Amino acid sequence: MEHKIKIYTTPTCTYCRMTKEFLDGHSIPYDAIDVTKDATARNEMIERSGQMGVPVIDIDGELTVGFNKERLIEKLGITE
Amino acid sequence: MDEVYDSIIIGMGAAGLAASLYSGRYKMRVLVVGKEFGGETAWAGTIHNYPGVKDINGYDLMKIMKEQASELGVSFKEGEVTSVGRDESGCFKVTVGETEYASATIIFAHGTQRRRLGIPNEKELTGKGVHFCVTCDGPIYGGKVIAIVGGGDASVKGANLAAEYASKIYLVTINKEVSAEPINREEMERRGEKIEIITENTVAEIVGTSKLEKIILKDEYKGTRDLLVEGLFVEIGASPDAALATPLGVALDEKNYISVDNMMRTNVPGIFAAGDIVNHFGSFKQDITAAAMGAVAATSAYEYKKINGDVCGLHYVTSAAVTGVTS
Repeated sequence: MEHKIKIYTTPTCTYCRMTKEFLDGHSIPYDAIDVTKDATARNEMIERSGQMGVPVIDIDGELTVGFNKERLIEKLGITE
Repeated sequence: MDEVYDSIIIGMGAAGLAASLYSGRYKMRVLVVGKEFGGETAWAGTIHNYPGVKDINGYDLMKIMKEQASELGVSFKEGEVTSVGRDESGCFKVTVGETEYASATIIFAHGTQRRRLGIPNEKELTGKGVHFCVTCDGPIYGGKVIAIVGGGDASVKGANLAAEYASKIYLVTINKEVSAEPINREEMERRGEKIEIITENTVAEIVGTSKLEKIILKDEYKGTRDLLVEGLFVEIGASPDAALATPLGVALDEKNYISVDNMMRTNVPGIFAAGDIVNHFGSFKQDITAAAMGAVAATSAYEYKKINGDVCGLHYVTSAAVTGVTS
């Protein structure tokens, strides 16, 4: 099953890069949004997640705050 | 079956990765294990002073070091080491999750833990105005007023980065002045009034319910203790955590860093340490010093292994024979 994934990021965030590299490594597509360039997305991220840390990862409408490999593996059904 | 190595390096920052590179070149069987890849360097933003490499993102620098070591056959395992023991033959046993790894030598290179202010609301409002990584979350505060508490080089670098986004930055230090590399300090001074330094003061209270509303300083500044900021970044240094090493009899110095000699040997034969977990260069903690210490520790581990032989070898041969595996 293909998941719809959106990552809220900033340009200098290492955990954002780790998240994207992890997904790239498993050939999982995603949309990355730089919240420093998109005020609407920034406000949406803060409102939906209730906090201001990045990355925020939206998988099929459910949010995960921060890069948590185990959680991504579980949510996306990845076998390593 | 235990996986058996000549050297297990605990820590995946500049010291651990440099140690793994040198160990790999010594043709040792090496495992690098760490909770998180890249150490402090991965979060340092742009590194301008690593010789031979022009401006590079710290995370990229760590990835290159890992790649260099991987090409030499070094193994990597992400996970938290919960204990390190040693059997009667001198073979170390390193536990990561439910797996035990055996090794003839150990290099502790797992750095330090970032300090917290330790005041109410710091934990509750983490991510809700209180942060510990300017590089990660600083850019979120575009057009906002923020404060950074801490007066070291990392704080000044953080203020310079944040100045690209925030409208105003207060840099709060308990010292009489900030202590930063002159080149970073100069960059900060070029920002003019955008970065305002508050000296001999600190954060006494963090105020807010669902998000940070303000901080209260210990002492008055410009007639008030209140500082209205939307973001607070804590950059007050780090402390060593040598809890894995002390049960093995490893001696610490007066500041709880692992004590080493000039060859990064601890007082316990077969155990070496490098990077921020030691205080070899005092407060001068850089990638170049961490990498140098890692290289020296690897060399000492190699020399130790040459003299003492394969103390875990019996386990390795026995296990392979039992399972019929040829090594």
